Amino acid sequence: MTSPRLSRRRLLQTGAATGAFTVTAGGLAGGLTAPALAQSGLPDPASVLADISVPKYVRQDYRELYNMSDAPLWDPNKDWIRTVDWEQVRSELAGTTVRFAIGAADTESAAEGLAPFKALSGIDVELVPIPDDSFYDKAVAEFISGNASFDALQFFSPWLGDFAAPGFLAPLDDFAAKWGLPLDDFYDTYRLNYGFFNGQMYGIPFDCDIQMVHVRKGYMETLLGGSIDKVNSVPTYDELIRVARELDKVEPGVAGVGLMAGRGFWSTYTWEHIAAQAGMMLFDENWEPIFNGDAGMKGLEIILELAKVANEGHAGAGWPENRAAWLGGQVATNISWQDSGTQAMRPDQSQIVDDFVTIYEPRIEGGRFAPPNIAGSTSCVAASAQNAEGAFLMLGFLTTASIMAMNEANANGVAPGYRSVLTNAELQKVSQPAKVWGDSLDHAWCSPRLPGAFPIEQAIGNEINRAVVGQISAKEALDNAAAAVRGIMEDNGFYRGRDPVEYAAAAPGLYVGEGKPLPF
Amino acid sequence: MSSNIEEIGAVAAAPSHVKATRKRRSRRMRKLFPYLLVAPAVIYLLGITLYPGIFAITQSFYAVKFGPWRPVGFENYIDLWNDREFWAALWNTFVIGAIALTAQCLLALLLAFYAYRDPWVQGWRIIFLIPMLFMPSAVAFIFKLSFLDARVISDILIGMGIISENLAIPSSIWLSRLTLIIADVWQWTPFLFIIFVAALQAQDQEVEEAARLDGASWGAIFWNVSLPLMRPVIVVALVLRGIDITTMFANVFIITKGGPGGATETISYFIYRTGFKMFNFGYASAASVIMLILTIIVAQVVVKRAFRSERV
Amino acid sequence: MAALRRKGESRVIRYLILVAWALFCLVPVIWFLSIGLRPRTEIITPEPIYIPTLSLDAWHMIWSDWPMAQYLRNSVLAIIGSVLIDLVLAIPAAYALARYRFRGREDIGFYILSTRMMAPAIVAVPIFFLFREMQLLDTIWALMLVYAAINLSIVTWIIRSYMLDIPPELEDAARTDGASDLRILWSIIIPAVLPGIITAAVIAMIFAINEFLFTLLIASTPNAYTMSVALANFTGGSDGVIYNAIALVAFLAFLPVFLVVVAIQRHLSRGLTMGAVKG
Repeated sequence: MTSPRLSRRRLLQTGAATGAFTVTAGGLAGGLTAPALAQSGLPDPASVLADISVPKYVRQDYRELYNMSDAPLWDPNKDWIRTVDWEQVRSELAGTTVRFAIGAADTESAAEGLAPFKALSGIDVELVPIPDDSFYDKAVAEFISGNASFDALQFFSPWLGDFAAPGFLAPLDDFAAKWGLPLDDFYDTYRLNYGFFNGQMYGIPFDCDIQMVHVRKGYMETLLGGSIDKVNSVPTYDELIRVARELDKVEPGVAGVGLMAGRGFWSTYTWEHIAAQAGMMLFDENWEPIFNGDAGMKGLEIILELAKVANEGHAGAGWPENRAAWLGGQVATNISWQDSGTQAMRPDQSQIVDDFVTIYEPRIEGGRFAPPNIAGSTSCVAASAQNAEGAFLMLGFLTTASIMAMNEANANGVAPGYRSVLTNAELQKVSQPAKVWGDSLDHAWCSPRLPGAFPIEQAIGNEINRAVVGQISAKEALDNAAAAVRGIMEDNGFYRGRDPVEYAAAAPGLYVGEGKPLPF
Repeated sequence: MSSNIEEIGAVAAAPSHVKATRKRRSRRMRKLFPYLLVAPAVIYLLGITLYPGIFAITQSFYAVKFGPWRPVGFENYIDLWNDREFWAALWNTFVIGAIALTAQCLLALLLAFYAYRDPWVQGWRIIFLIPMLFMPSAVAFIFKLSFLDARVISDILIGMGIISENLAIPSSIWLSRLTLIIADVWQWTPFLFIIFVAALQAQDQEVEEAARLDGASWGAIFWNVSLPLMRPVIVVALVLRGIDITTMFANVFIITKGGPGGATETISYFIYRTGFKMFNFGYASAASVIMLILTIIVAQVVVKRAFRSERV
Repeated sequence: MAALRRKGESRVIRYLILVAWALFCLVPVIWFLSIGLRPRTEIITPEPIYIPTLSLDAWHMIWSDWPMAQYLRNSVLAIIGSVLIDLVLAIPAAYALARYRFRGREDIGFYILSTRMMAPAIVAVPIFFLFREMQLLDTIWALMLVYAAINLSIVTWIIRSYMLDIPPELEDAARTDGASDLRILWSIIIPAVLPGIITAAVIAMIFAINEFLFTLLIASTPNAYTMSVALANFTGGSDGVIYNAIALVAFLAFLPVFLVVVAIQRHLSRGLTMGAVKG
């Protein structure tokens, strides 16, 4: 994932680190604001684009480890930066400046990574670092203070409605059409849920996430007495519970399963993940909460079973804690984002390199195969932007297929959402979960983008957390949550005859797998 | 013999010399002068207490979200009254604070009793001081790592044969609270220790000697003689520490985030969460106003007395 | 003298207790330092590693990946600025409270004291809006003003307590020479209470370094981030919580404070009680 905190620390860092770009002009890395290059002094776009390549971007040790060729990890015809007319961009916007709010931890690497954009477009980029841990609060604070100091920002996609509904974001449909953004290449679940709110385009999918189930190879093979089958070794959640119980005993200090059940949205996400497999939907077509029905209960009951053999910290765990436990070898299986799979491949941080497998989502009897597209982040242009078009183009550059593919190859936690990338055979070599992940996306479940999504996530998660630690029953938790959610929806203008979001506009993104054959 | 506590109204040095030397100045100016001296400080402080107080009271009668303020009468207060999480936050603040304060007071007294007559008292003081000088956020991370993420405490207790499995601290109300309490005791016992040692060192040695000659044990002397003399000092120290404990924030923010199920959410964290996470400013202001009222009561009743305390 | 007094109590118990507490204080600190000097892969493991491989990864990371110099600069500027504001406001106020009889003196003194009781959370929302109006959010000016406000009561009371100790005779001579009150304050009182002023400044500095909630709300970029809050917020995003870097930063911030406090330790108890206890 990359959670809200999602910092994209190593965003594009590698390319710059290998010295690919001599065009940094010495300005960006140092002061974060380089003087705009005179248009006449801009380099030939083709030569800049030629440098955005596997040998210059992907870490050498990874290329060697996974026997990668220098072939692109993307389809050049769908790589926006190679299709857009940079001369036109330059003639319209060179010399302008874009201010971009970004997770603070990534400021410097982003400054370096954006150097080629400057060279291609002649648009200067100034970075406004915002702390990763409180991006939502800080971004809202900037917006409500009425003087948002940035043109573009990226944030957790579930909050698209929170930002779009009060009018903080600029619609992007016209820019997307004008500059030929390849929206069709995104998997539907990302395009619809990270891109659109109430039928209008506000975002370009940035960090495209999915939650998955990961198992430790060594422990699992011992238990199975053979190698792991990604479809059938853990076919159901009942089986996952059984496996976790067995593995819990395997070694001191290693728990059966890693679970994020901390307060706030972490618990919500874990529960949504599992309940979605039982067929849970959050709302009916009148936006009445219905998640406290049988499917929601089934999901929570499974969590309560898993919690018995989960790592000790599960009830306080969010993504950082879960990630640490997983990479540190404290858990035998893990329910988390796909990037727990990619990051576990980094020897500088992981104790379990090569000792895990990411499997297909386990099923629930009477439910459906609905791998959860949860969280992830999208990138948007502020309604108050001084340079909306320049901001849009910069986001187009950052989210382009080639750069996203190489982020994934570098396992830096920023994930691509393009079909042409995840199905690329070269990429599948270096990204352990890519195949299963890509297969899953055509069946993805997702929560609706609503104003009030953030408090809703908090309210549900706080109640689930109470159930997990045994303060209240599962039923009480979901009933309380449903009541709280209804109140929040009311505060945000629902149920008064004219809902701020039409259900029909959100419905297509909620479950994209209807009627499709299973991938296995 | 006098205690170490001064009176708030002690001695103004010297109206007499003041008068004598200021004939040239007008009477009025003379009367005004002390007010002019305190005015800048008082105005500054009013700016951060009176203004916010009025602001909070006003805002607490509105629903304040992203747009314009919408008047809601007493709705925020009624909601607070019915808000389980608000009451829980008050209770948590009290429970965690009371236990931590009692523990660190007793520990500090014990340590001060043993240290103040020790030849190496300076050395003890410097060592005991160390936890207090780490930034609270750093302390929070030390405890988060050792109690939770790296499970060092569990490992040590297992090694000692006290428990057989890693403690599931974040799932347990009392273990989570205990983590916050231990972190606070670790960091702030020195605060009380330093004050108590100073108070003991300042006491009249002859009383102790006399009692000693009568054959009383050191423990008995401490209990019957030193401790009663220290009472005003203890009160002042506890008041100051008590205030800081009830505003505990950084540890909650970093270690528990208020979990499990809100069992460690303090009132400060509650206000932060409703105001700056949920952006329910009016509601947060209502909670602030209630806390403000409680503070004023405590300040009037306890603090005024503690700092004015009569000579013993 | 101390040797005499030791009769009748058990030295063994005394040292057992004192040494036990010293260990309780120091062991977490030493262990945390060892975290700062080990590679990331040895921090969170199935069973804790007590004797790590030495590594300077964290040292390189804090200087190359984080704008640490900027945080340090923000902390130092905000703190020094706030202490200066405090001294300018507190010294005259303390002088008035210590040396003049005037109506309402006790109430004013108590009012100043009582602002110390104000929980940051109470004023957080209004202060946030206030700075928003003043366009001061995310600046070290806002931090300076807030830290100064937090500490003003402490600084005033500490200095007042030291002023009360000065014998009035000191001023008498100057007065008969016709020196004005302000002149006396400047050339007699202030030099005489210098230890008190320094103590107050150090205590104010400690509280300012520790301030967390206001900084968290006011600062939103490295423009205004201080060490204390940076530590909590810059936990590395997609890299998770980078404990070794956090530990190292904590030590870097600790050392100078420790040295300063050791230097004034004789005055510490008086400072911590806002002058109520004379050490």
